[in-house]
Amino acid sequence: MDASAAARERLRHWVEHLEHVLPAQAPIRDFVHHNTLHGFQHLPFAEALAAVHRLTGAEPYLPEQRFRDFHAAGRIDDSDLASALEDIGCTDLDREVLPGITRRRILLAALLEPPELPAAASLAWRQREATVADPALWALCRQRWGAAVGVGLADDAVWEAEAVRVWRTLWQKVGQDWSLRALLEHLTGEDVLEAVRTVLQRHLAAHLDLGVAAWRNPQRANGFYAAWRASAGKDFAWELGELSGARDELAWLPADAFAALLQELAILVPDEQAWFPYVERLVLELPGWSGMFLWRDRHPERGDGTPVDMVDYLAVRVILERLLTEDLLRRLTGAAMTLDDLHDHFAARPAEFYVRHGLRAHALPEELAHAAEALINPAAERPPVGDAPWRQLARRIARWQETESGAPTAWARYRLLRRLGLAAETVAAWNDLQVAELLREATAIAGLRRREVWLLAYETHYRQQIFAALAANHGRCRPQVRPRVQAVLCMDDREEGTRRHLEELAPDIETFGAAGFFGVPMLWQGLDDAQPVALCPVVVRPAHLVREEALAADAGRRHGERRGRRLLWREHLLQGTGRASLAAPMLAAAAAPGALAALAASILLPAWAGEVARRWRDRFEGRPATRPQVTAPAGSPPATADAPRAGLTDDEQAAWVLGFLRMIGLTDRFAPLVLMLGHGSGSNNNPHRAAYDCGACSGRHGGPNARVFAAMANRDAVRQRLAARGLSIPAGTWFVAAQHNTCDDSVEWYDTDLVPASRHGEFDRLVAQLAEACRAHAAERCRRLASAPAAANPWQARRHMAGRRHDISQARPELGHATNAAALIGRRTMSRGLFLDRRVFLISYDPSQDADGTIVEGILLAAGPVGAGISLEYYFSTVDNERFGCGSKVTHNLAGLFGVMEGADSDLRTGLPLQMVEIHEAMRLLVVVEQTTAVLSAIVARQPALQELIGNGWISVAAQDPDSGALSRFCPRRGWLPWQGATVLPQVARGRDWYSGRREALPPALLLEGRS
Amino acid sequence: MNPETLGQALLSVTVLVGLVPLLPLLAAGAIALRLLLGRARGDAAEPPTARIAVAAGFAALVLLLAMDLGAALAVPPGQCLVAVWFASAGLAVNLSFTLDWLGLGVATLVAGIGWLTLAFAANYLHREPGFHRFYLGLCVFLAGMLLLVLAGNVLLAFVGWELAGIASYLLIAYAWQRPVATANAQFAFITNRIGDAGLLVGIGLAAWWFNSFEWPALAGDGRLQSIMARLLVFGFVIAALAKSAQLPFTPWIARALEGPTPSSAIFYGAVMVHAGVFLLLRLEPVLLQAPDVMAGLVVAGVATAVYAWLCGLVQTDVKSLLVFATVFQVALMFVWCGLGWFALAAWHLGLHAAWRAWQFLVAPSWLQWTVAPPAPPPAWLARRQWLYTAALQRFWLDRLADVLLARPTQSLAQDVRGFDERIIDRALGEPGRGRSAVRETPLVVADGLPGRLLLWVSEHLQGLEAHLSLRGRGGAMDMLLRRLGAHLRMVEALLEQPRYLMLAVMATFVVII
Repeated sequence: MDASAAARERLRHWVEHLEHVLPAQAPIRDFVHHNTLHGFQHLPFAEALAAVHRLTGAEPYLPEQRFRDFHAAGRIDDSDLASALEDIGCTDLDREVLPGITRRRILLAALLEPPELPAAASLAWRQREATVADPALWALCRQRWGAAVGVGLADDAVWEAEAVRVWRTLWQKVGQDWSLRALLEHLTGEDVLEAVRTVLQRHLAAHLDLGVAAWRNPQRANGFYAAWRASAGKDFAWELGELSGARDELAWLPADAFAALLQELAILVPDEQAWFPYVERLVLELPGWSGMFLWRDRHPERGDGTPVDMVDYLAVRVILERLLTEDLLRRLTGAAMTLDDLHDHFAARPAEFYVRHGLRAHALPEELAHAAEALINPAAERPPVGDAPWRQLARRIARWQETESGAPTAWARYRLLRRLGLAAETVAAWNDLQVAELLREATAIAGLRRREVWLLAYETHYRQQIFAALAANHGRCRPQVRPRVQAVLCMDDREEGTRRHLEELAPDIETFGAAGFFGVPMLWQGLDDAQPVALCPVVVRPAHLVREEALAADAGRRHGERRGRRLLWREHLLQGTGRASLAAPMLAAAAAPGALAALAASILLPAWAGEVARRWRDRFEGRPATRPQVTAPAGSPPATADAPRAGLTDDEQAAWVLGFLRMIGLTDRFAPLVLMLGHGSGSNNNPHRAAYDCGACSGRHGGPNARVFAAMANRDAVRQRLAARGLSIPAGTWFVAAQHNTCDDSVEWYDTDLVPASRHGEFDRLVAQLAEACRAHAAERCRRLASAPAAANPWQARRHMAGRRHDISQARPELGHATNAAALIGRRTMSRGLFLDRRVFLISYDPSQDADGTIVEGILLAAGPVGAGISLEYYFSTVDNERFGCGSKVTHNLAGLFGVMEGADSDLRTGLPLQMVEIHEAMRLLVVVEQTTAVLSAIVARQPALQELIGNGWISVAAQDPDSGALSRFCPRRGWLPWQGATVLPQVARGRDWYSGRREALPPALLLEGRS
Repeated sequence: MNPETLGQALLSVTVLVGLVPLLPLLAAGAIALRLLLGRARGDAAEPPTARIAVAAGFAALVLLLAMDLGAALAVPPGQCLVAVWFASAGLAVNLSFTLDWLGLGVATLVAGIGWLTLAFAANYLHREPGFHRFYLGLCVFLAGMLLLVLAGNVLLAFVGWELAGIASYLLIAYAWQRPVATANAQFAFITNRIGDAGLLVGIGLAAWWFNSFEWPALAGDGRLQSIMARLLVFGFVIAALAKSAQLPFTPWIARALEGPTPSSAIFYGAVMVHAGVFLLLRLEPVLLQAPDVMAGLVVAGVATAVYAWLCGLVQTDVKSLLVFATVFQVALMFVWCGLGWFALAAWHLGLHAAWRAWQFLVAPSWLQWTVAPPAPPPAWLARRQWLYTAALQRFWLDRLADVLLARPTQSLAQDVRGFDERIIDRALGEPGRGRSAVRETPLVVADGLPGRLLLWVSEHLQGLEAHLSLRGRGGAMDMLLRRLGAHLRMVEALLEQPRYLMLAVMATFVVII
């Protein structure tokens, strides 16, 4: 009993640990950006990436060729590479390894040459077809290194010993890096998972389904294992797949998933120590489905009541693995055998193993590959008899390997020496020791380290540009004495453009940036929402509920009824025709003319169609005037996350407003109008829609937060309490709220009827200016979209964006955060007057009001993970879209309302689609804080969360001294490093002059207009 | 001008009816040419490709609309003979079109949906590596479908039928890097070949019994024996069942959803899946002569409807859900045909195609547009474990088809390859493996039968050459050659004249045909 309890406990730990390696993406409706490798965040960045590469085979950096292309295009230069080498700890770069050749030169040359050896055949071809640039050097290299490398392999005893050795290492991988399935696939080329993958996926999707399937497994209430077993026991597929005994075996399995798991694992892997790695391997074979299963196991409240237990899933995976590998083993060797037997089997047949391994591991020439294929998969059922054919072929392969000469090695060395600019005479004069020294230095950085250096260099190049811009901009702007309007926007990188254009248009407007929930962590229930949703960062559980209610109750009711009726009809139509019912033909026939018209309109004239549809909707339902119900009635119970209360007390409201205004440093000099501008995105036909919305609002629209904030800040009761706590908002100041649609650059204003008459003129001007700024912003955005008009005027651009928003065929309604690269935390004076190409998060913070750093500590704790989550999700989805991202949208197919598959039969795909990341520049977020290094060091020292993020290098941090403007960056290895560099920057009148006609990412520039 | 004359005037465009399928085909050719010439690279290459395709689709639609209007104002022109391709011994192969309401109506719908889908894909597939390939496939498909529905005879229809099938195969395997996609494409391809066999049987019987391929001729003059009518119809019905994914052929369509959403929409939602129904509608007069085949249609339709209903209930992804709903409605169309309600089937076809095109294209919106869970199945069904398993496994039909069809085909291919490697390759010889025949001339090596033969011939010729040419000028060889040269010059001069050139071209055509 105790043993079983201990085993169960161990299993619980396993499941917890699996959270580190599986994708942790929530159902797609609630998509929120997060670090794809969140489970590895406790490790330093480079180590974590190496670990993931080992575990999953994913490529954690861009391909080296991409970096070399950047180098050729000037996006990385030699000084960046040298700085990157210093960053990873390559010191004494100026040491002369050989007379006149410094370490720097060797390493740079080595980085610029591809590390992969060319195939012998391609090298031979190249020599036939093209001339070698330096024949003398090439001859020398061939003479020195051109000899065969696999010395003695052609000898029978040697290759046999080699085969036995390799077989042992491969065999030992089972349970560590490989499952038995993977080993057998290596040996036979047959993937046994393929036989059951489709039906397993169907079972998983059926169990996790959130509302697509009408008919679910009758046994699902007993968990996945029971449901699967009940179905699999009645499944004829076993017989069709020639696994006739499987159904009997299933019948004899224990009814308890846990017992079944232990029993089957013991058969599969005798060594208990290998159990967990083995299970980890298995779940990583279908990472998408495994990850979703685990997520639902961990978040039972977000399901539909069907029990989801990871142990069930593990049991099924292990049982299938055991059944299928057993069958293949029997077919491979002619008898059922254990893992140990398998080892002995091939240890006794080195020739057969050598051929099988040779086919998978080496790029055999076509003839040998054919012969090996013919032996491994005989055409008819005539397996090769005896060892003789294997031996014969193994000998041929060994001979080929032997003669697979050293030419590729010689070629690589030749390229390196050429890159170093060395002549044959120089090299000829060196002795062997010197040559060895040179080669040792050249290969000092190898494997993933090479690309780590490249990434650092790439980041360095951008950092130099940002630093130069910040240094050049220091002191160019002064805070305004009496701004006409103050606008508070989301910190989102996309809003950098909006702010810049607004300031260019109206230099007397002051802008601020903050996390887009504006310090209002609430549950919001809009007039049209069936249920309240949390509008705040995912980590926060809100305790307050705010409802939107119609001013006139009957108008609201009428609206609700009509809208309900419309949605019900749509639901009827979709569900009715999407399923087989006798009413379906009628429904389809009735809706067909409308559908054809809708199809034509929304493909040919999307903007117009969207506008007409909106107008019809409004006419049918009406748009009743509404107000958010912000204030709780007196004597309400206290608000908790478990029992959220409707509305806030006056004190709570004052506390939220005060906290937020202090955080962004807006405590005096209030303008007559303060605009709170939330944001969201609108798009059609887009399962990833939530990924374009406000990340600080759990992937939803942030407009309601702005609206609630303005409503609170305008209340007299709140202002009195604020004044009592030292923050007096003048009576003449009015807060207005609006929502910016980042897709079509439209603005929706809230509660405009409340604006006092005395502010009407000012307000009208603001509305017009914001609209104009948004149009200019739309025109700027066109330059990054290949399908947008190249030189659109603002009106055309706005119209184009409106089309993108409503277009059902548009896979890129907007580009989301694709351009994010840096974050600036400080006063706007730091960045105002700079063109930053929509690449930076701008977070307002006034260091002059925060001597001890408590405010910036809060900002870093809240915005750090949000920014890092966005940046790292984009990073990983860009570098390996196949494993970390979800591929192209065009074949996506919505599964179970929780994710997307490719086609109708694939793993669940997580991460970002290709269309969102194709222009992203994969680098880590550079966070520049306007604060002294001392204060920042103290903050990081006391916050473990920041230590992990910054100390492990998941983001890079820099500080700009508030007074002197001096910049220093934080290196996890060496601490704060002061920056010196050229501060020469291009100067242009307006941003437009800098970007017009250019489609690529642009370095910063100084703007002459739009400064305060 | 009264409506009648206006209608007649509009109908004068029927002489251009051949352009309707030809335009998309030409567009496909143009795109293929761009691909071949390496013009299809980068962002800038996309709009021209899309524009060519969309313009072709639009032009076809406009032509059809003109004919529709003309037909509405006057009367549908019916059977139109554009040209005789070739005729011999009473059997004529015509380029003819059937422009009745059925053909015109369905063709207009196909062109309309096709045109919109082509426009849709311009944005949707932007920057896809297969952008041009996709347009190529879609244009071929559109040409094929238009040819099929407008064709005046069964041979032309067969050409259209095959074009559509090939396009379907190409686009299922659009993501050819994924083994699942290519395997499914192959599966669909093989299954559909059974249907093609049926169609070929029908065509062969028609040629044999009627000496004609024209649709009206197929109805016969009422003297056709019922057994013959049955045989004839049976082939066509098999073809229709396969193309429209009715039992027992249903599995292929559920596995065909690997392509981009627009191709799933137009092939398996809106257009191609209805091709079988269209064939039945075309064959109405013949079908009516074979009441038991019609009863068979009802049985197949009902069985498929039940099958699609059960399978549809358990689907968890939107595309599969929609494809089973589509198969269900198509099955009902088969039932209508079986019951003799052809007009109902035709209307159902048109309306269903229009609705399904929309619904498939907005399938990604399902997440946002549905709120309530679907209605559960009736209680008596909900707890049947075996039926549930069967529905989830789609009644094992695709596994069965795999075992019975796809795998034997693959084994056959493997055997052929083995034969190729062991016998043909050896007989033909392979480069680089030759052995020199004569020890003293290691330069000349030969492998395989032809190689050895050539070696033998060349050795003897060498001897002959030495024998003849070494005798110098004036020898027998020299004279012979001079005479031959003179004759050849005369032939050349004759060939340069136009009439002989034409003759040569026609001879080439005859050989090709």
